[in-house]
Amino acid sequence: MSLSAIGVTLFSIVLALLLALLMIPVLVWLERRIAGLIQDRKGPNRTNLFGFRLGGVIQSFADVIKLVFKEEYYPAHIQKGQWLFIIAPAILFVSALLGFMVIPFADNLNIGGESFKIQALPVEWGVVWYLAIGSIGVMGVLLGGWISHNKYALLGSQRATSLMLGYELPLGLSVIAMIITYQSIDFNAMVAWQSDTLWGFLPAWGIIVQPLAAMIFIITIFVETNRAPFNVAEGESEIVAGHMTEFSAMKFAMYFMGEYIAMNAASAVVITMFFGGYQLPYLSTSELFTHFNVIVIVFMSILPFLIYFFIRWMHKNNAIRSTLISDGGRAFETKVLTITLILMVLIVEAIGFYLLKQPADSLVVGVSVMLLQIAVFIVKLMIFNIFFIVVRWTLPRFRYDQVQKLGWNYLLPLSLANIFITALVVVGLGV
Amino acid sequence: MEKKIKVVERHNTKFKHRLFIPAIIEGLKITTKHLFSNVNNINDMDVLEYPEEQPTDISGRYRGLHRLTQRNDGSIACVACFMCATACPSNCIFIQATQREDGVDEKMPQSFAIDTLECIFCGYCVEACPCDAIRMDTGIFSVIGDRREDFMIDKEQLLSHQGAFGNENSIAK
Repeated sequence: MSLSAIGVTLFSIVLALLLALLMIPVLVWLERRIAGLIQDRKGPNRTNLFGFRLGGVIQSFADVIKLVFKEEYYPAHIQKGQWLFIIAPAILFVSALLGFMVIPFADNLNIGGESFKIQALPVEWGVVWYLAIGSIGVMGVLLGGWISHNKYALLGSQRATSLMLGYELPLGLSVIAMIITYQSIDFNAMVAWQSDTLWGFLPAWGIIVQPLAAMIFIITIFVETNRAPFNVAEGESEIVAGHMTEFSAMKFAMYFMGEYIAMNAASAVVITMFFGGYQLPYLSTSELFTHFNVIVIVFMSILPFLIYFFIRWMHKNNAIRSTLISDGGRAFETKVLTITLILMVLIVEAIGFYLLKQPADSLVVGVSVMLLQIAVFIVKLMIFNIFFIVVRWTLPRFRYDQVQKLGWNYLLPLSLANIFITALVVVGLGV
Repeated sequence: MEKKIKVVERHNTKFKHRLFIPAIIEGLKITTKHLFSNVNNINDMDVLEYPEEQPTDISGRYRGLHRLTQRNDGSIACVACFMCATACPSNCIFIQATQREDGVDEKMPQSFAIDTLECIFCGYCVEACPCDAIRMDTGIFSVIGDRREDFMIDKEQLLSHQGAFGNENSIAK
C-alpha cells in the first residue's frame, strides 16, 4: 500500500466525516432560518461569538453545548435494559453516518498511474450498502420506542416501522429501475454514466432519463428520512415526540442529529443517482482536463463578481434598520468579513494564475479538478438540502393511513410498471 | 318515507388534482418567493427587533403587571376584603389585613404580595375588586429576576407601579 493510497483514503474519510458532521449545525440553523424567512419571521440570528453572528449559525453550536451538559436522565420505569436505551439513538446515528460514506465526492484521482476513488468507503456496491444501512436505521427508532415503555413512543415507532414496510418496496424498486438503466450498482459508475449528453443537448442525468423513478425515489426518501410531509413517527399534537418522547440530553441529540445526517445522506444519494453527482452539466471529467485552462480563466473571471454581489448583499442585509441606534457590532462584523472575503478572492486568483502555468498532466491539475468537483457536489448537496427544508415548510402533514395508501396503492404499482418499461426499453434497444 | 340524504359532490376529482404535483409546485412557488424576497430585503420584514424596538401597540385593555391604586388623598385604595385572593384561580395573591388608623376607612392590607410566577394574568382579581384598588394597566409585559424571590411582588412595589394609560387613582366611591 503506497503512501499516496493512504493519503487519498484518509482525505476521503475526513472529507466524508466533515461533510456529514459539520453539516448538522449548518442544517439545523438553515432549517430554522428558512422556516422563519418563509413565514416572514427572522429566525435565530442573535447568538454571537465576540460579536460575530455569521447570520446566527452560532446558535446551533450553543444548542449542542447545552445538550452535552444536560443531566443524563433515565426514566425510573425502565427497569431492564438501560443499555438498550443508549444504543437505540446510537443505531440511528451510526447507520445514518455510515450510509453517507459510500458517496463519491469526485472522480477517481490519478497519482502516478494509480487510480484512487474519492469515496470514504471505496466499494463497488454503494447502492446496496446505502439501502441496507438505511433500513437498519429504522431499528433505532423501533428500539427506542419499544424500550421507552411509553405508549406514545410505542405508537411512534410502530408507525415508523409500518411506514418502512410500505416504503422500502417502492424505494428499492425505483432503485432497481435505475440499476437497469445504469447497469451497475456502483455509485461511481452511475455518475460516470450521467456525464454524457442525451441527443447532444440535454445532460443525461437520472432525472431526465428516468423521471418517474426519480419522483418515486424522492418521495420515498422523504419517508425514509422521516421528514415532512411524511413525519408521522412524531407529531406534537397527537403523540408528543413519538419515539423520542422519553429521551433527553445527548440521547435526544443523537436522534436529532441522526435525522439531519440521514437527510444529508439522502440528498447526497439523490444527487448522485439523479442529478449527476459531482459532474458539471456538459463537462465530463475528461473534458475538464482538456479544457482546463479555459475553465480556470472563466472561474477566475466569474469569482470576483460573485463575491462582489455577495458583499453587496451582506452590506445590505447584515445591517439593522436605520431607526435603531445600536447595531450590536454588525457593522464591524460586516467589515471584517468583507476584508476576509477579498483576501480569499485574491488568494484564489493567485492560485488560478499558478494553475494556468502547470502542464495538463501534472498532479496539481488533477487535484484542482477534484476540488472543483467536490465544490460542485457540495453546492448541489446544499441546494437539495434546502429543497428538503422548503418542502417541510410548504406541505401539510399526511395522515398516517394516507401515507400507507400512497405507498401501497400508488407508488408500488407505479414503480413496478416503471421497471417493466425500463427493462423493455433496455432489452428492446439493446443499449 | 323518502330518505333525506344530501349527496355532496367531491371537489377536485380531476386527474390533475388527484396527482397533487401541480398543487405542490404551486405551493413551493409561494414559499420560495417569500424565502427569496426576505433573504434579499431582510429589513423590510414586518417584524419587531425586540429588545431594541419595544412594542407600540399595547392598548389600555392589555393585562400587564398588576398595581395597587391610590385614593385621591394619596392613601391606599385597598380595603383588604380578600375578593381578589378568593377570585384568583392560581392562588397567587397573599394578603394580611390590619386595622386602618387614619380614619379614612376601617381596614387596609398590612402586606399584599403577588407571586408572578404563579400568576396567569387572567385579570379576575381586577374584575373582583369592589374598590378599583387593583389594576393591570401598567403596560409592563416582562418580569425579570435572578432568583425565585424576585418574582414575589410586595405591596410597596405594587403601589409604586404607575398606570400607563392615565386615570391614576381609584375611581371607587
